[in-house]
Amino acid sequence: MNATPTKSTLRLSGGVFTLSILRLTHASAKTLQAELAAQGPALRLVQGAAIILDLTDIDPSLSLPFSEWLTILREAGCFPIGVRNVSDEQAEAAAALGLPHLRGSDAKAASAPPASNTAAGSVFSQPLRSGQRQYARGGDLVCLGAVNAGAEVLADGHVHVYGPLRGRALAGVQGDESARIFCQRLEAELVAIAGVYMTLDAEHPLWGKAAQVSLDGEHLHIIALEN
Amino acid sequence: MAQTVVVTSGKGGVGKTTTSAAFASGLAQRGYRTVVIDFDVGLRNLDLVMGCERRVVYDFINVIHGEARLQQALIRDKMLENLYILPTSQTRDKDALTTDGVARVMEELQTQFDYIVCDSPAGIESGALRALYHADAAIVVTNPEVSSVRDSDRILGILAARSKRAEEGAEPIREHLLLTRYAPKRVQGGEMLSLDDVQELLRIPLLGVIPESEVILQASNQGIPAIHMQGTDVALAYKDVVARFLGEERPLRFVQPEKTGFFKRLFGG
Ligand SMILES: Nc1ncnc2c1ncn2[C@@H]1O[C@H](COP(=O)(O)OP(=O)(O)OP(=O)(O)O)[C@@H](O)[C@H]1O
Ligand SMILES: [Mg+2]
Repeated sequence: MNATPTKSTLRLSGGVFTLSILRLTHASAKTLQAELAAQGPALRLVQGAAIILDLTDIDPSLSLPFSEWLTILREAGCFPIGVRNVSDEQAEAAAALGLPHLRGSDAKAASAPPASNTAAGSVFSQPLRSGQRQYARGGDLVCLGAVNAGAEVLADGHVHVYGPLRGRALAGVQGDESARIFCQRLEAELVAIAGVYMTLDAEHPLWGKAAQVSLDGEHLHIIALEN
Repeated sequence: MAQTVVVTSGKGGVGKTTTSAAFASGLAQRGYRTVVIDFDVGLRNLDLVMGCERRVVYDFINVIHGEARLQQALIRDKMLENLYILPTSQTRDKDALTTDGVARVMEELQTQFDYIVCDSPAGIESGALRALYHADAAIVVTNPEVSSVRDSDRILGILAARSKRAEEGAEPIREHLLLTRYAPKRVQGGEMLSLDDVQELLRIPLLGVIPESEVILQASNQGIPAIHMQGTDVALAYKDVVARFLGEERPLRFVQPEKTGFFKRLFGG
């Protein structure tokens, strides 16, 4: 036994993190791969990010292809770090691959202004600033102020921005091709509908103008908003 | 109860420490009991700018860790008797500022001062978060360039979401834009963003514009807050800032290029 204890260099501290949650709806690795390929740009949002796999929608009695999922997701550029809403057996299989079972709850994005959420969608009355990201699940997203450069708004439905749109706007992120983006002043870094995206710059003829973006097949259409 | 004002920016080197020193001195000149705290653990610049580096014995970190009492760490300013400096440590790292420890010190300062000015470190990590957490008002120091504006925007988002006021659902932090290192000639030449550009991008009330000036360097080398540099543009600009902060109206100055020489004026430029 050593009489003089040496001072530990380890330091343990706590931290709170916002993570993306990927909800898988089927147990097949093939489908996941196909979907990831189809999602393209929407998935760029989680590139390099740590994500949690949420298995709410999957039959708890199934044995799941965790190892294949891990390979596919890592290849797609994201890092699964845990699972949630799994059965005990599934949790055990995940843990064997280094994916712990997490029991956290969904948090409202910690670094974003409050929204009023209704069945019709989410309304933000504060500007969205660089680094903030808001997602209106299942509906439209309305921003009364600006979406500044470096901020990001996403909606399953339409995106409406009544201040200048200088950040990124993605409508129809679950694949709704009829979703549109409406803005009072188009100065966006990127617009996307149902995964089809386009980057913009000041050369665009409608730069700084009121415009709407819609999807026609493979192409985004940007036209002036007449009033 | 004291009012807590954070001087913050996101981006480094834009003039937070210069502003903290001048602004705190200006409040003290107006008769308010003021303390200015250095939250930039590991760099420790504020005491140099305030010219009290040789009088630092105990610091903020010592107080947080119970190694010294607050009164032992507070340094009285050499020019103004109701101004105190709470310096930080150069040898510890950022983790030495614990959330609870900071809260305890802030609470103790609340009862002794009218204004607590917090000089934030650059960045958006723990150090900056701790500096802004207790704020009632924020001075967002911005230089007229795109990257600085972007970082200020980021900090404004964080002020609105991560401060104590935000967490408790209280009135939001009062936000003030301070544009520093403004060189009207270079704005005219299109090398820098204009005041209008910056205001349009950030959309918060303007507290003032501090011109780019060599006087700042002279002042900091002498350990004298710039507001004491009699008759200079920067001293006048910082005095205006303090006045506006206290609710007085002051017209903007130093935002137009300087008039050139007598002959140019005579014969038209
Ligand atoms: N108005 C000004 N005109 C000219 N130089 C200035 C002006 N304001 C600040 N400076 C100079 O810019 C440099 C950075 O200033 P300062 O230390 O106040 O910035 P800071 O934001 O506190 O930096 P950090 O992020 O490293 O803490 C210093 O050399 C200072 O002298
Ligand atoms: Mg500094």
